[in-house]
Amino acid sequence: MASVHESLYFNPMMTNGVVHANVFGIKDWVTPYKISVLALLYEMTTSKPIALQERRRLNKLILFVCLSGMLPSNSICCETPVSDACCLLSSHTLSLNRLHEMADGELKDMEYFFATLPTPFSAIDSEAYKTSVVGLFMRHMLLAYNKLSFSQVYKLYKALQQYYHSHYSQPGDVQVGLPALAADDSDMDLTSTEDNVGERMEKEELDTAPLHESELSRGPLSQKQAEYFLARQAYLLKNDENKALKPSALQDELNNMLKFNPDFAEAHYLSYLNSMRVQDIFISTHSLLHYFDRLILSGSEGKSNGDEGYGRSLRYAALNLAALHCRFGHYQQADLALQEAIRIAQESNDHVCLQHCLSWLYTLEQMKGSDSSVLTEDSVKMAAHFCLPYLVSLGIQSLVQQGAVQGKTAHELMDALKDTDILHWKHSLSELIDISLAQTTSIWRMYGKSTMAQQQAQLLLNMNSLEQVNFGVQQNNTEAFAVALCHLAELHAEQGLYGAVSEVLKHLKEQFPPHTQHAKLWMLCDLKIQFDRAMNDGKYHLAEPHVTAIAALNKTEGLYRKAQVLKALNRTTEAYSILQRLQLYCEKTKYTEMIIRVMLVTAELHWESSGFATALPLLLQALALARQHHLQALASETILHLAFTQLMLGVPEQALGVLHEAMEPILAHGAVMDKGRALLLAARCQMAMAGTRSNGQKHAALGLAVQSLGEAAAYFSMLDCKERLRDVHYLQARLHHTLGQTPQRNKCAMLFRLLDQELQAPGAAVAMRL
Amino acid sequence: MAALCSEFGDLVQIKKQLISVISLCKERGLVHSVKWASELAFSLDPLPKNELPPPTFFTEEDAQDLDALGLAKSYFDLKEYDRAAYFLRGCCSQKAYFLYMYSRYLSGEKKKDDETVDSLGPLEKGQVRNEALRELRVELSKKHSAGELDGFALYLYGVVLRKLDLLKEAVDVFVEATHALPLHWGAWLELCNLVTNIEMLKSLSLPDCWIRDFFMAHMYTELQMIKEALQKYQSLIEAGFSKSTYIMSQIAVAYHNIRDIDQALALFNELREQDPFRVENMDTFSNLLYVRSMKPELSYLAHNLVEIDKYRVETCCVIGNYYSLRSQHEKAALYFQRALKLNPRCLGAWTLMGHEYMEMKNTSAAIQAYRHAIEVNKRDYRAWYGLGQTYEILKMPFYCLYYYRKAHQLRPNDSRMLVALGESYEKLSQHVEAKKCYWRAYSVGDVERMALLKLAKLHEQLNESDDAAQCYIIYIQDIFSCGEQLEHAEVSTALRYLGQYYFKNKLYDEASLCAQRCCDYNDAREEGKALLRQISQVRDQTESSTTDLFGPLSSNNTPIRRVSPLDLSSFTP
Repeated sequence: MASVHESLYFNPMMTNGVVHANVFGIKDWVTPYKISVLALLYEMTTSKPIALQERRRLNKLILFVCLSGMLPSNSICCETPVSDACCLLSSHTLSLNRLHEMADGELKDMEYFFATLPTPFSAIDSEAYKTSVVGLFMRHMLLAYNKLSFSQVYKLYKALQQYYHSHYSQPGDVQVGLPALAADDSDMDLTSTEDNVGERMEKEELDTAPLHESELSRGPLSQKQAEYFLARQAYLLKNDENKALKPSALQDELNNMLKFNPDFAEAHYLSYLNSMRVQDIFISTHSLLHYFDRLILSGSEGKSNGDEGYGRSLRYAALNLAALHCRFGHYQQADLALQEAIRIAQESNDHVCLQHCLSWLYTLEQMKGSDSSVLTEDSVKMAAHFCLPYLVSLGIQSLVQQGAVQGKTAHELMDALKDTDILHWKHSLSELIDISLAQTTSIWRMYGKSTMAQQQAQLLLNMNSLEQVNFGVQQNNTEAFAVALCHLAELHAEQGLYGAVSEVLKHLKEQFPPHTQHAKLWMLCDLKIQFDRAMNDGKYHLAEPHVTAIAALNKTEGLYRKAQVLKALNRTTEAYSILQRLQLYCEKTKYTEMIIRVMLVTAELHWESSGFATALPLLLQALALARQHHLQALASETILHLAFTQLMLGVPEQALGVLHEAMEPILAHGAVMDKGRALLLAARCQMAMAGTRSNGQKHAALGLAVQSLGEAAAYFSMLDCKERLRDVHYLQARLHHTLGQTPQRNKCAMLFRLLDQELQAPGAAVAMRL
Repeated sequence: MAALCSEFGDLVQIKKQLISVISLCKERGLVHSVKWASELAFSLDPLPKNELPPPTFFTEEDAQDLDALGLAKSYFDLKEYDRAAYFLRGCCSQKAYFLYMYSRYLSGEKKKDDETVDSLGPLEKGQVRNEALRELRVELSKKHSAGELDGFALYLYGVVLRKLDLLKEAVDVFVEATHALPLHWGAWLELCNLVTNIEMLKSLSLPDCWIRDFFMAHMYTELQMIKEALQKYQSLIEAGFSKSTYIMSQIAVAYHNIRDIDQALALFNELREQDPFRVENMDTFSNLLYVRSMKPELSYLAHNLVEIDKYRVETCCVIGNYYSLRSQHEKAALYFQRALKLNPRCLGAWTLMGHEYMEMKNTSAAIQAYRHAIEVNKRDYRAWYGLGQTYEILKMPFYCLYYYRKAHQLRPNDSRMLVALGESYEKLSQHVEAKKCYWRAYSVGDVERMALLKLAKLHEQLNESDDAAQCYIIYIQDIFSCGEQLEHAEVSTALRYLGQYYFKNKLYDEASLCAQRCCDYNDAREEGKALLRQISQVRDQTESSTTDLFGPLSSNNTPIRRVSPLDLSSFTP
């Protein structure tokens, strides 16, 4: 605390109430780092000419090194430590002796060094000519050095010593660095060392990860280090949260940073992001507002660009506040903040900001659950008018999502997505490409085309992102990836590949730890898979606890699952009332998929009370809905139900006819379970029809049925679904018996017997279920 | 109370203690504690000659160190700290040890301040630190765990810990210091800065001594528990410290904090009579004068203080206030800046500077100033409030809610924050919240008497005429009962509305009363007269109609005269 005010104590440069960062108006300060750069430059200008290619590489390197020294102090320069390192390395071999001389010698050595620097005004034909980059840098440095007071010079010298020793007195380096230096002290030329520098630089670039953890513990960071730290952490937070520091550790670092440099506004922003990670509304609001309070100041400093800056940050401050409340689900607050942002943006004619506001507005409306397609369309149009490709395609994606739910035709949606994709690739919006792919996956999945869905998901996961790979991290913990992975897990679960499912889920768990924003997605997915498995296995007591967990994550889904469990446990009345409620609710929110599913479960309830005739209209309605919305998977399932009902009503010919319609899509795209059920049902229909036929035909029909049953058994055994397997074996045994194939009959009977013993519980009547 | 009296009964004893502690502190160069104790001692009756405490006796060690100590002390007084420390390094008496460590500490602080000017660029700005602190901490903690530290050394240890931001340890050490030497005010004062809330205060185990009451009173003032603080100070005065200028100034500050301006002004005037060359607390005094717009008094005070010492923070603040009152905001800001240069921890100056920038419509600078104020002290409600105001001026009512809420949190019973909150809610059309805020503002004692008026207007807007009328009635009663003339009082608005309201509800007597009162005000006179005319017209009509139609019934149909809810006849505006 104490340092906060003391840092301001002797700050005489306070004009207009704003404390300027540069105390005496000098832009450049001589630092030990810059002295080493100078030493390098000195070596360069005095050494003999080198080959052109080497020269180019060296020049590039030097430009980079100089610029990182000359950048204004508040611009974020992520590569600083890299350049720091490479400068160190280059000076290590090139000018280490000079630095060594200075650091281990006396103050006069440093003074001598500055005195012998070629003055840019005298050296006309060297690189240090006054108008060259190098010359400019040297002039800056000389000027800054000459301005230092007596005690400052001494301090600089002390700092140089410290800098030198902290980097070179580490045991490893001494052995490698100094003897090497001693060895080629005499014949040191640029060409031989250059390659070395380049290699080391690349190597350094590749693994910078462990760099700052060790640095951080060393107390206050310099401005550059702090900026690098912030940039890196922010990048990691966005792209791969697991690689960033832990929330508490990061907060500690930030607090430490702010203690030594309270004017460092960006740290507040990072603190905002960090506390969002842990869902801390108090600190995140505080940090966000603090950041913008600070930003407003820096904005007003640079008044060169009109009233941009100051007013602009105000608008975005309000917008950010709205976003924050949105994240925390405070819709009313978010609405108010958004209105405010819109109002100020309107007053100052900031169309870009207004577009951002609009896109937030429809997002907010969507989150609130109301229809926002008109708003979204407006947003898309306006954003296109103002050339904001990001917002345009974001809007289109949002429209596609709404359209998919509302049953727009597939080609419209796909066309729209294709158009946005063109936009994405044109403007290289890699984030949106990801989203677009994830969305396509979801749409295919919704339509029940599992192969297409799988292909799209794999495409997303295997694609090389357009975004450059910084800090060795590829962007892969966005929502799009989570969605795609979840779909993948469910698709595998449908095919009964539970090993793969658990692999995917494990990866998800690692990538999106439970406390993070998108963790709910995989949690729900995991629970659904477990629930389905338990239900298929007939282990209802295992399924029941999942219901509560699912309900916590998604209320509608939870209710639906609850109804399923109740139905399975024969608590028909309760199940029915829940289903009624759910249907009403879903009709209100236009959740078509769920409506159809609810109808199917209701039909199943009717079966239990032998109300097959009453189930028919319900199923037909469901079928119509599913077809209208192109939900193929659900349509096939409905047809299965329909066929079963007809079988039960005693019209197996009809049933088989209907069933054939669904058989193809089910075998092509359906889940293993559905395939098995369809084949079982087909066999039963065939059996029922065989009863009415003449003897010869009967045998052929029964033979067909046996074949279908065999296939069904194969599918069920894939899922290890013993109850249904038992039914199949029973039917098989009966058929073989009728056909007089005794050995096969005995085999099936034995299999049935084994399973029956294992299951113990008396199965539901074979006839009574699909 | 009785316990307190008995505790303070022995004023002579207290005086003796004070005299002894004064000499102890003086030997150690703790000037501020000496000043405080001396002020308090001065307010007590002088002791007779035979009662004076004997000169302190010397131990063997003291005698050994006497010369070195004398030499070091003289260097110390001349601010040659390193030199003082050098000559004290071998001494073993407690007194010499303290002075030795203290001069090393001060030397470090002085160097740190000098360094700040000579820093090598902005990067190092926040990183200059007192290099001596760490060594001091190591040495002191060794002695501390060995139990060799006396009260003064413990105090120094605490200060070192605080400077190193080891606040928790510092609190413990300061509590220990107060136990070891309860009479040393410096330790209490440091403790005061570290206690942040009442729970923390209650959890401390403090020595049972008369000085503890001073501490508690000070603490209550800091924690904005003004009522408790005033009670404590009152009992201290009754116990015999009635002449103490310290207590008087503290009470005045407390009154200032609860906006009891008259009391505070009276006390400050008295204080200035007793202690005319006092500079401390005069910035608070000037705030009061500013609030009351007492230009001549403020001008006199400013000139007087400049004559006494123009390079004091308080003086600069007073001058800043003076210029601000004369609407010369640039100059005012300049003087606040000067005050901050003299002492950047001067919280009030940051806030006041923020106010000045607000006046100059330089919102960004104002935000900066307020933010600095908050950085120095997170509990500064005025800075939070100022930030809220700034954003309100920038037309961001939702944004400023956060700041007002913060301010309200710190001063839950201050109506100004509540009114500000209410206004913001009103702008956001959150009428329910706005009404709650206004009503709460009225309930906690509205200083500006605006809450009810705003509430009434809000009700009026929402067409809740009964509620609006009720509010206007209370408002009028409130305005008249407080007696003083308020500039912004909108009695006429209230009366006009009430007149119309009664007229609509056919309460013609009350309506005509209100209309008559309206005629007392220039801006409502015409409407008042018009209303009167309307009333008489309607009355004529009804009378004629009743006589025509219900003539025979009128005798027993006389409406029972309802008691007017607004009996204005008793009030004299």
